[in-house]
Amino acid sequence: MTDHISEVMVWCLAVVVIALLVLLLRQHRITAVARRRNAVLEGGLLARDEEIRHLVAVRLPALADATSRPGPPPGPRDHGLTGTPFAQNLQAVMELFQRAVENAQARADVSAKTALKASMRALQGLAHEQQLAISEMQDRHDNPDVLGDLLQIDHANSQFGRRAQAIAVLCGSWPGRQRAASSLTEVVRGATSRIRDYRRVQVHTQIDIAVASRAVEPVVLATAELLDNATRHSQPNTKVEVSLQPVHNGACVVIDDAGVGMNAQEVQRAAELLAGSRPVDVSRLGDPPQFGFPVIGVLAARYGFSVSVDTRSPYGGVRAVLFLPSALLTHLDPDPPQTMSAPAPQAAGRPQPTPAPVPEPRAPQARPRPGDDTPRSYQSTAGGLPKRRRRQPAADQQRDDWPTPTAHEPAAESDTGSHPVRSAEETARRMGAFARGTRSGRAQDRDGAAPHHEEGNRQA
Amino acid sequence: MTPRRREERGLVRPYVVTDGRAHPTRNTFDLVTLVMAHGDRPLSGLSPEKRRLMELCLGGALSVAEIASHLRLPVSVTKVLLGDLVDSGHITTRSPIPSAQLPEAQLLQEVLDGLRARL
Repeated sequence: MTDHISEVMVWCLAVVVIALLVLLLRQHRITAVARRRNAVLEGGLLARDEEIRHLVAVRLPALADATSRPGPPPGPRDHGLTGTPFAQNLQAVMELFQRAVENAQARADVSAKTALKASMRALQGLAHEQQLAISEMQDRHDNPDVLGDLLQIDHANSQFGRRAQAIAVLCGSWPGRQRAASSLTEVVRGATSRIRDYRRVQVHTQIDIAVASRAVEPVVLATAELLDNATRHSQPNTKVEVSLQPVHNGACVVIDDAGVGMNAQEVQRAAELLAGSRPVDVSRLGDPPQFGFPVIGVLAARYGFSVSVDTRSPYGGVRAVLFLPSALLTHLDPDPPQTMSAPAPQAAGRPQPTPAPVPEPRAPQARPRPGDDTPRSYQSTAGGLPKRRRRQPAADQQRDDWPTPTAHEPAAESDTGSHPVRSAEETARRMGAFARGTRSGRAQDRDGAAPHHEEGNRQA
Repeated sequence: MTPRRREERGLVRPYVVTDGRAHPTRNTFDLVTLVMAHGDRPLSGLSPEKRRLMELCLGGALSVAEIASHLRLPVSVTKVLLGDLVDSGHITTRSPIPSAQLPEAQLLQEVLDGLRARL
């Protein structure tokens, strides 16, 4: 009986042991699976942590700096996450961030431009006002020492005005001054007036091409920036040569410097800026800010001229070529001496005094002159004094026979009535004869003791 | 001067015109000094202002004040240009007749009579 009991016990134990073993094995398997899943999950979590850290440390800053560092933004670090909702959410965060950055930049740019533009306009106005004051002083004081000082102030003021103008233009303002159409030579010399080393600039050619009124100021400003670059990037003892060339459908201003030149990368960057195709971000012009090329680019795009700096000058530096299309050019009336006496229509606005001693502004018809069909009148100075008219010796009147009466003299005489009308040559001739007469008279009077000809600074 | 040709004041500043100099090479000019140009000198190589000055003066004698007014330049700047042109032989100057040395009325009358007879 006890055997039976013990046998049953053994069997029971065995069953229990087996059951325990099975349970243990199952448990072990379950644990292993759980551990593996744990590890996988932990890895995933770590990867996401890393991804988030990568986002914060690398991708978002790159996005924030994207405008200054062009190129595609860096992608996710762990490509195993691609396609998961997590990655999609990250992408959404990136896009949101990018939009926010762009909006903030646009707002900052607009407000910076507005503030800069307003202050530069104010400075420009002051510079202009000061220039008028300096011009007035130059007119008023007839003393070389004073003039020397005024010239220095004038020079500094012109540069100051140009800087303010350039920044204002960069911020979307107009160049500001309305000017009359001027010859290209004047335009280039006007640009020369606004740079520091104006004495190193040599304008060689003089061509009979003028810049239309609306383009004068922008072309002056662009040329001034090019000249400034040229003088700034070359040795102080070198010259900057400017030549003006008429071309098929416009005119070119060619500026050659003997400086260090630009490497291919700089040329490419300059070409991008000069094209003016990209809006300029005033907050990213470098330190110190480089205004020159962006300003020229803005002006060129707005007014339709073009500038290139991709050629090497024969002197080793940069050759900058400013091309003005025919639309921006005009032709000034040639400057024959006869036009000096033509009436100025703008004088009609102001009261033109007709002083008693000058003859009537009636043209002496007795001596028609080729190309001189306009009625003459006397211009007056700003102070109201009549201007004497000057003319070049024309073909029909040589200086050699100045004192001798010419054949058509009586015709002019016949015209004179109570108002003697004389042409300028005749008046000049008579005045000259008068002067010679008094001189010879005095010489006779003093037995030739008095000097015939004297150069003096004597006040009359 | 037609309005088209009117020189734009303020575009080319005086220091560019005189190349930065304020002192004329000679101190012999005043407002009424008469300037006469020599037509035989070449105009090439002259700056635009000097060229215009020469063209202005080739018609006869002009005073310094008139030249400055025509060129729309300050008188002191004009004097610098004139000094250069005297040095290069393009112009000669003559001081006007001083009032203290004016001849008496009779002489003037004789001159006038002579002139009338001639003209």
